[in-house]
Amino acid sequence: MHIPDGFLPPHVCLAGYALTGGVTWYSLRQIKHDRYTQANIPKASLLTAAFFVASLIHIPIPPTSVHLILNGLMGAVLGYYAFPAILIGLFFQAVMFQHGGMSTLGVNAIILGAPAIAAYHLFRQREHLSAKRQLLTKVFSFGAGAGALLLSAMMFTLLLVTNISPDMNISVERTAIFVSLGGYAIQAAIEGIFSVMLISFLEQVKPELLKS
Amino acid sequence: MKFALDQYAYLDSPLHRWQQGYKLVGLLSLIFAFAFVQNVWLLPIMIVITGILFTISRIPFSFLIKRLRYPSWFILAVVILLPFVSGTEPIFQLGYFSIKEEGCWQALLISVRFFCILTVSLILFGTAPFLSSIKAMRALGLPRVIVDMTLLSYRYLEELGETLTTMQRAMRLRGFQPHGFSRRNLEVFAQLTGSILIRSYERSLRIYQAMILRGYGSQNNLKKKHSKIKINQRDHKSLLATLITVITGILLISLELILPSF
Repeated sequence: MHIPDGFLPPHVCLAGYALTGGVTWYSLRQIKHDRYTQANIPKASLLTAAFFVASLIHIPIPPTSVHLILNGLMGAVLGYYAFPAILIGLFFQAVMFQHGGMSTLGVNAIILGAPAIAAYHLFRQREHLSAKRQLLTKVFSFGAGAGALLLSAMMFTLLLVTNISPDMNISVERTAIFVSLGGYAIQAAIEGIFSVMLISFLEQVKPELLKS
Repeated sequence: MKFALDQYAYLDSPLHRWQQGYKLVGLLSLIFAFAFVQNVWLLPIMIVITGILFTISRIPFSFLIKRLRYPSWFILAVVILLPFVSGTEPIFQLGYFSIKEEGCWQALLISVRFFCILTVSLILFGTAPFLSSIKAMRALGLPRVIVDMTLLSYRYLEELGETLTTMQRAMRLRGFQPHGFSRRNLEVFAQLTGSILIRSYERSLRIYQAMILRGYGSQNNLKKKHSKIKINQRDHKSLLATLITVITGILLISLELILPSF
């Protein structure tokens, strides 16, 4: 879910960078308020690397396979560190695999990073609830994983289809958007279930990883 | 898992000698100028500029082809689809389907822009060690938190990649068959991901302790760090190269605005 170089007009690329600058500034401000910023930087960095590596795991869905985006999970685990972490991950992908691009880095960061922050706020709601905590953790995990991916997919598809060519027929655009979102809805369901499984695993084995 | 990012970072060419801070400013300006191009008459100029830069960089052509392999699939899909779905002027009718003129030009525009920007990006990050690029970004004002996170992530990326490969090999040796899609397989993948996260988390605690012992975060160390990272302003050749590249980018944008749209 990365828009490559050359696909978007320059004003969209620049707007992406401006928005990314703003969200990065806000995230860094939130990080500065953290009591343990210095201790959390190595944690966030290694988890960034771990999420990057984990996103390379291919889940086989015959006849093909999908790789997970994990932006919702990053939000749930890393909180406001998720936005710079996603920005760094996208930069690595653009430089190492030519996946995405330098001119579209800002746009791609917003597509994946903004839903990650939304997922963090959704997942945090479980802390305010004491009754049926386990069940609600599963519900919020699913919501964070699937919701973040769906939000990203919506932004990605709308941006790509509406900007790729000015001569595209509106009905073709609409069909392309619906077909893409249909495919992403299936992936969102898988990612939601995967998030529930992963969060349950972390709660059993290393619960401190999920503490904000 | 090998990223091979610095494979050709130590060659000797004018682009390798171009100081990375200046190079970042120059080539990023050029990348944005390329992204600005909407007129097909400017495509040959873009190709020539990219070709000259690539030839000077002395990066082997096979390296570029290898790097283009993965993203090219996406471009191929667009190039095949756009002529059918974009535009109104048919140039070729094949039963229900018709190839439209506007779609063909759009496909050409997108693919040339993509290949040129990608090649310039490859030149930008392939002609200097990755660490020099991060240091240059720091000198240009990238926040310290992001610089530290980038350096630490980069340091452990390959190692965690190796850990993942080893764990997946161990899973296969224990009889795991990752071919079909099932609830159990998804759970195994979730546990694999969880284990990677836990290992990296535990490792980060040890790394932090080691960093503290080496003075990480102390005020003296921070001052020393800031005074060290500076762009060498006496490098006149690098400055000249940056000026030429930025002016080329401005000229390209000006031509885009002056020339009638195609």
